[in-house]
Amino acid sequence: MPLLINRQPAADRWTLIQPQEGETLEALATGVDALLVPIEQLDAAAALNPAALGVQINGDHSVAQLQPWLARVTLIAVEFPVFRDGRGYSLARQIRRLGYEGELRAVGNVGRDQLGYMERCGFNAFSLADDRYSPDTLKAFSEISVRYQGAADDPRPVYRQHSESTV
Amino acid sequence: MYQYNTVDQQIVDERVEQFRDQTRRYLAGDLSDDEFLALRLMNGLYIQRQAPMLRVAIPYGLMSANQLRKLAHIARTYDKGYGHFTTRTNIQFNWPKLEEVPDILAELAQVQMHAIQTSGNCIRNTTTDHFAGVTPDELEDPRPWCEIIRQWSTLHPEFAYLPRKFKIAVTGSAEDRAASQVHDIGLHLVRNAEGDIGFEVLVGGGLGRTPVIGKVIREFLPKQDLLSYLDAILRVYNLNGRRDNKYKARIKILVEAMGVDAFRDQVEAEWQHTRDTELRLTDAEIARVKGFFQPHPYEALPAESPALQQQLQSDSDFKVWFERNTRAHKVSGYRCVVVSLKPLLGAPGDITDRQMDVVAELAEQYSFAEIRSTHDQNLVLAEVRQDDLYAVWTVLTEYNLARANINTLTDMIVCPGFDFCALANAKTLNISDAINAEFDNLDYLYDLGDIQLNMSGCINACGHHHVGHIGILGVDKKGEDWYQITLGGSGREDASLGKVLGKAVAADEVPAVLRKILETYVEQRTDEERFLDTVRRVGLTPFKEKVYASAH
Repeated sequence: MPLLINRQPAADRWTLIQPQEGETLEALATGVDALLVPIEQLDAAAALNPAALGVQINGDHSVAQLQPWLARVTLIAVEFPVFRDGRGYSLARQIRRLGYEGELRAVGNVGRDQLGYMERCGFNAFSLADDRYSPDTLKAFSEISVRYQGAADDPRPVYRQHSESTV
Repeated sequence: MYQYNTVDQQIVDERVEQFRDQTRRYLAGDLSDDEFLALRLMNGLYIQRQAPMLRVAIPYGLMSANQLRKLAHIARTYDKGYGHFTTRTNIQFNWPKLEEVPDILAELAQVQMHAIQTSGNCIRNTTTDHFAGVTPDELEDPRPWCEIIRQWSTLHPEFAYLPRKFKIAVTGSAEDRAASQVHDIGLHLVRNAEGDIGFEVLVGGGLGRTPVIGKVIREFLPKQDLLSYLDAILRVYNLNGRRDNKYKARIKILVEAMGVDAFRDQVEAEWQHTRDTELRLTDAEIARVKGFFQPHPYEALPAESPALQQQLQSDSDFKVWFERNTRAHKVSGYRCVVVSLKPLLGAPGDITDRQMDVVAELAEQYSFAEIRSTHDQNLVLAEVRQDDLYAVWTVLTEYNLARANINTLTDMIVCPGFDFCALANAKTLNISDAINAEFDNLDYLYDLGDIQLNMSGCINACGHHHVGHIGILGVDKKGEDWYQITLGGSGREDASLGKVLGKAVAADEVPAVLRKILETYVEQRTDEERFLDTVRRVGLTPFKEKVYASAH
């Protein structure tokens, strides 16, 4: 599955482990260096002390659940079950607002035409389905090169960008 | 009015090219129907019953003569020679070709126009009072605030995939001509006890399947905090609004479910993170935007115009039009003119390319080259010298734009209905024609006074039937069109939702039923009492008795 990090194609070093009924995380995660788990498995995953720990959430979760882990995880994957589910955009804003500077990855139903807005909200990594990726996809980031409002990429609205206005 | 700088222009230009590429990829089969649907809606493009429909934004209903001429050109070149003004003060073209839409958008961009966010589950065109800036009772001109909201909300990266569409209205006077209480957010410019001007903030109003009057979430919001507070409301809604059922996805449902106090607590908690960040508006930016809405260079004119008085005396048709279709202007010697898009024959809100050109020319000649579109689907030439009214009226009359029916029964708000709209259950335009035919006696209409009749062809309520003094809702019963009638609604400062009169009536019965309702009003009214006030005072019973008793 193609992965973009900071607008560049990248290899995925992470392994998502989602134990099903009757399986244990410990058994499945043995030997995994970069361990990505759903938020419900985070305690158990941390106890395994992997070299790198990542967490996957979706719009049903809140950043309050994530907050205690922000210093520990180096990947937060936000799942978009359908591209119309816009909750992930607000979650990303809140995660960045809390000071998280690690990889913030959009996964699930992610397409070219969502990339620009996602990046502005704080995502720096994007996992796309094979059939939704082409080298042309990278153009999506620069289709709109100016913006009115601040966001995670630059908190300043356009009118604050050219002069140091006083509040 | 606001003029684009290089940044504004670049945004619309790049958006056109982005959409051109999306259309190309869709036509090439690289983009699925479902994905293109979301993208084209955010650019105002629907696929309708007959053809695509393109909705072009008219931010807060204000346009220049050049812009209106461009709309005329588009109607002529890419459509069938007409357009339709909507209750969001936008214009719709009903017959464009999908592959030509990028070219239409490019033409619009040449005159600082676009179709961005005129549909889709995003922040829509912000609307306001069509007499903003010229009405005598105004606390402050709301249009600079609409423009500030326009810029903030345009291509907002976080709020493009909301649970549902999102509409904001701003008013600056005690009279509410923007239906602000039935918006997702209503903003009222108010003065607090300290004498400062800020916003009263209402949230969770709306029409559609579940009509709700908005609730006050904040009595006074300092102006500099406008965008940070809107940002907080939108984030709470985006994270918590329902996404499992599109009929329960508007913010009104969330506010009802949480309770307004709990909703307010969440918004305030979110706001604490952002109110003192870069979202806080600077005085310099407020002043910059306000600079585009300064008063025009008015002439110093006496309040009385001898020429006007003479014309009013000598031409009774002109006098009737003057009384019904013009309004006081805050500057001595000027009047606001309402251009009626409610002719005897013709769909309410429709306008031909020729009529657009004529109005543009009148605006240039007599009203500082600006035109406003109104929430109730008319146009306004807001600043006409009293001495020029006769000339304006003469031209408007020639082009069937001077029907003296503003605020009367035939000044109806009507959605396009089943004839055009893929969502509609029932036709509306045949009913509005029938009402026009039944009530073509203007003297009778004047005697009835101010009546707002609103009609929708389905429960989505684009025709705002819930807030009509008389509301008509088209419903489909076993393949036939039936019409449910409500009485007592208002979208104004005294907002209320109409109550259902009784069982729905057949299409051919609507005019006769309306006549009985109006006869009941005439019987029941006290001197000078408006239709709405009579309904509120006597209730529905006398109307029900008259309509349904004699129907058997």
